[in-house]
Amino acid sequence: MSRIPHYLKERIEEINKRALLYNYEVHTLPKWEKVIITWIALIIFWMIVSASIEWQNILVGTIVTFLVSLLMYDMFTNDIRRKGNVIVKALRITFLYIPQYIFIMAFRLLESNLKVLKHAILMDINPGIIKIDSDLHSHTGLTILANSITLTPGTLTIDTVRQLDESKLYVHWIDIETLDRTKAGQIIKGGLEEWLKNIFW
Amino acid sequence: MIEYLFLLLGIILMISGSLGVLRFPDVYTRLHASTKCDTGGAMSILIALAMVSEAPMLIKVKFLILAFLIAMINPMVAHAIARGAHKSGIKPEGVIDVYARDGF
Repeated sequence: MSRIPHYLKERIEEINKRALLYNYEVHTLPKWEKVIITWIALIIFWMIVSASIEWQNILVGTIVTFLVSLLMYDMFTNDIRRKGNVIVKALRITFLYIPQYIFIMAFRLLESNLKVLKHAILMDINPGIIKIDSDLHSHTGLTILANSITLTPGTLTIDTVRQLDESKLYVHWIDIETLDRTKAGQIIKGGLEEWLKNIFW
Repeated sequence: MIEYLFLLLGIILMISGSLGVLRFPDVYTRLHASTKCDTGGAMSILIALAMVSEAPMLIKVKFLILAFLIAMINPMVAHAIARGAHKSGIKPEGVIDVYARDGF
């Protein structure tokens, strides 16, 4: 491989990147599933915001949200991983993954608040900006990971760099324990990335 | 009873956040205090209000929608402020700055 000329090497890298992109695009959901998922989410939001259970209200909401979901079906369903039956997946997301996430994040948020109180009183800080890797590649998955990292104790996401084969996060850490990239990633991300990989690619 | 405990917890978290904003040395560490303590304090105060108020169930859920929106939006605002501060040239205090070393 070391004897390959320079122009050929660039060409091979480009083809590899395109193959990777093609794999990701093949794994998105079909169109009708996207429309149905968007429709159900919008109906639930309509019911909560309008706060009445008369049948005229529900009828108007159903029609309007169906029209909206026909227009905007790939805004937040484009990054969901295609795996298994759609009904099983929807039930699993609603009743297993989302309560699990809320349970994890509530306790992490309480812990981070108490940690800020401890740092503010004792002033034992050692801040710095470090870089960690991530295995997620989609826009929605990276956004949720960065927001969760900001709410977990002692870390604040400054920027994300998303490329096809690797994505990196720049994190401001208030009390640096290690400078090694993989160890820092394990400490900072915890179980959140494994959780997000169940839903997003 | 438990709703007043939530209210008290929210007030304590807000006070600790403002203490952190006053005592920490630079922009980034102050953002730590403001983001986390505002999110936790506002969410627990909203949960306590949803328990106290004598409204029907569908209106109580709106408090939880507000708490959800705060938890979604607050980290993004912190990210925008921190990135803008770094772009405009404010150096962070501390041991290492990989973000400046990588050329951003």
